[in-house]
Amino acid sequence: MSTYQVAKFCRSCLMNSDVRDLAIEAPEAALDLFDLTAEERELLLAGEVGELSLLGCNDFLLSYLPRWNLFGLDVPLYSERMRAVASRTVPNRHLTDELGTQAD
Amino acid sequence: MNLYNRMHFCYKDIQTAQLLQKVRDMATIVAGIGVPHTPAFAANVTAGDPDDETAVAYARIAEQLDAVDADIVVMFSTDHLNTFFLDNYPALSVGVATQTSGPNDGTPGLRHVELPVCRDLAESIRIDTTIADFDVSQTQEFTLDHSWLVPLQFIRPAADLAIVPIFVNSHIPPIPTARRALSLGRTVGATIASWPEDARVAVLGSGSFSLDVGGHYIEPQKIFGVPAPEWVGQVARFLEAGDHESLVANASRAQMAAAGNVGGELLNWIAMLGAIGGGAPTTLDIHTQFGHGYGFWRLA
Repeated sequence: MSTYQVAKFCRSCLMNSDVRDLAIEAPEAALDLFDLTAEERELLLAGEVGELSLLGCNDFLLSYLPRWNLFGLDVPLYSERMRAVASRTVPNRHLTDELGTQAD
Repeated sequence: MNLYNRMHFCYKDIQTAQLLQKVRDMATIVAGIGVPHTPAFAANVTAGDPDDETAVAYARIAEQLDAVDADIVVMFSTDHLNTFFLDNYPALSVGVATQTSGPNDGTPGLRHVELPVCRDLAESIRIDTTIADFDVSQTQEFTLDHSWLVPLQFIRPAADLAIVPIFVNSHIPPIPTARRALSLGRTVGATIASWPEDARVAVLGSGSFSLDVGGHYIEPQKIFGVPAPEWVGQVARFLEAGDHESLVANASRAQMAAAGNVGGELLNWIAMLGAIGGGAPTTLDIHTQFGHGYGFWRLA
């Protein structure tokens, strides 16, 4: 299942110290615990959080990753990569349709 | 009061409930409170200057809460995927239990607390909101994250007030509409006012008006940003004027999304306003640079 498993991984890093420690020490082994697509796995290992957000991965959960410098991410790099894709975001139809732009 | 009568009350509007309150011992809404819950607050204030503006703003709210002598705090706030997760994330939920604890997200600076939950009022709210056509889930075994514990730590460090947590999704699109949040609040307010206990109830809504955490609107070198300071100013003007109808009319989902990935937390303030019947705040401190504010409505 796409993006959901990325969310599970990020949340597990926060909630489960064993997963978090494994992600720090052996990132590939930690990702093996989750049913990620090849693209998600590749992007996580590369720390490409912006591209992951464009796939629909929850950005709030992705923002946990630099807390432990996972995948080479620190806050400045995380910020740079997330901001870099801002112009490529696709409007969410739930927010931009007629109902979403009017008081209902 | 038996269950039939209590369910009957849900069809009454808040004015009717207030009239009944005059002849029976029923709960009184004594205050409305709006505050943020930025997780960094706890550690920052603990480590820093007691004159820090966050500490000062919260102290002002705490002082006013002490003055109204509340017994219970009904809270509208948003779970940040800690109590619930994406496998089963409710739009609206009521915590129906006798106790809870937290924080469950390891927020630095927050101590672990056990909190009493007013189960009877929570159950009344669950019943009344469901009958009023809100599809409200219930959770009977839960812990809470910083969005509940940060406000409580500052406004009631003793953690001795019973709470009723009402979870409002303001993060995962599509979020409820502002109109829906206001209506939810009104229903909850009517339930409180017709609850047959001689209790003093404060209603709290927690969240930011504009804040992006880890999303596309964060600032360079930072993990957060305040993408819509002009919206913060607009919200402040509506609040200051007691004009919650205009607030709701302008708080489209697109507007809240443009205010950041947690900009929907404004819904918690709107629900609080619905519960207390609106009106101008007794005090309102707006911290535009952080995208949030602190408001207190003294009602009794």
